[in-house]
Amino acid sequence: MDTDISDILASVSSPTVHPHTLDLQALTRAWVNERSAPELLPYPADLIARVSGRLSAQILKIESLTSTNNPGLKSTLVIYQTELERVKFLLRSYLRARIAKIDAYPHHSLALPASHLSPLEKQYTTHHQSLLSTHYHTSFLSAFPASLQRLDDTTGGVSMVDRPDEDTAVFCRVLRDCGGVDVQGTEGTAQVELRRGDIWVLRWRDVRGRVEEGSVEMI
Amino acid sequence: MALPLPPGLTPAETGFLCEMELVTVIPRQRLESLQLLGGPTQPLNPPFPTPLPLWLALLLKKQRRANIQPPAWLTLSSLRTILDFETDDRTAGVFSPPPALPQPKTFPDPDLPYLSPDTVELSTPFLKDTHTSSAQEGALPYHWLELASLLLASAADDFPDADAIRVLIRDLREVRMSKLRKGFRVLEGGAGLKINGVGGLEVAEVRGFVGGVVDGLRRLGRAREEMRREREEEDGNTGVGDEEGSEDGMVL
Repeated sequence: MDTDISDILASVSSPTVHPHTLDLQALTRAWVNERSAPELLPYPADLIARVSGRLSAQILKIESLTSTNNPGLKSTLVIYQTELERVKFLLRSYLRARIAKIDAYPHHSLALPASHLSPLEKQYTTHHQSLLSTHYHTSFLSAFPASLQRLDDTTGGVSMVDRPDEDTAVFCRVLRDCGGVDVQGTEGTAQVELRRGDIWVLRWRDVRGRVEEGSVEMI
Repeated sequence: MALPLPPGLTPAETGFLCEMELVTVIPRQRLESLQLLGGPTQPLNPPFPTPLPLWLALLLKKQRRANIQPPAWLTLSSLRTILDFETDDRTAGVFSPPPALPQPKTFPDPDLPYLSPDTVELSTPFLKDTHTSSAQEGALPYHWLELASLLLASAADDFPDADAIRVLIRDLREVRMSKLRKGFRVLEGGAGLKINGVGGLEVAEVRGFVGGVVDGLRRLGRAREEMRREREEEDGNTGVGDEEGSEDGMVL
């Protein structure tokens, strides 16, 4: 009974998290998830827009502070700039990890639902692929029989489109109780109980849905 | 432009994450609240202890404008308790339990997009009080090794007994690493591996090995697994009546 009351009190009296801190948490999670998952995850367009907007505002603020030439502000400026570089690193590393996956599986990425690629990523992939296929056609594909010229042929039982391996083992942390989850093993399907705070090595296929809904995070 | 690193965080990136953890700082100089991208910092008023992100605390420490108060679990008595737990024969198969977590505050919502603010549940390094002076004693948080090495490297003079702590940290690291290696025996054939209480650097260290073994074993057993799946599907198609038959199939 005691624990129930203290839980209720904690949920009522806990101070709310500052929205900027929450966005930094979301960006950090997006980065770690993207770095560890074998597959391209959805693109959080709103989050990235908010963070990039704040980044440009912070750069302007630092520039105006620098131009005031106040010696007392020097140490504060160092703090602002250090933090700016940290967030820039996070964002850049996140976007680069996405490009690495898009480059590895371009045809597969283009076939994903629209929410998975940002407009810029989509433009980049489409353009890159059209350049590549034009080049292949002029250099050797045009000499092939017409039925063998496609780059994304799926007939004949074998697909030409490379896909990430969805059964890759991943390290993950459970953020909310998920109940029993069926996991595939070589010996059969087993059910495991995912509880808050647990750390598991599981197949990506089995946790993907939970990661997308935010109940599980990669580590 | 594409990132040339393999999947999974490298030890350096794990250290970067750890630098976002909040630690307790005892300021020597005043500092107003700063509007940072990750939210406003608390104003510093000497000599009141204030929580600050580790990267900022280390920066102020370097400029001799603050001291860092080691977290409550990073003390001789607390580390000795943890080491006793780790070396005890009765708990040889598990890591010492991580600090208790607060209740989750969010719920999954299938209508909201990925990482929408309403569904983001806080986790390390943004949890409160995992590395501050009011952290839980006798429990190693996820970033324990990173935080201990960073503090011992840059703020050793803030510890009353830095050398003894250094020795304890090294002992802990060795004991836990050998435990982790022994635990790999269950990798064979298992569907999942639960490693509660493991630390960030420890994961970074074994990620390549564990991932390689699990994926390698899966590739070796792929033919058998596909046969089993097909058989299960067939069993499912023939009807609900022969449950016993499918159970027999599982044992094989």
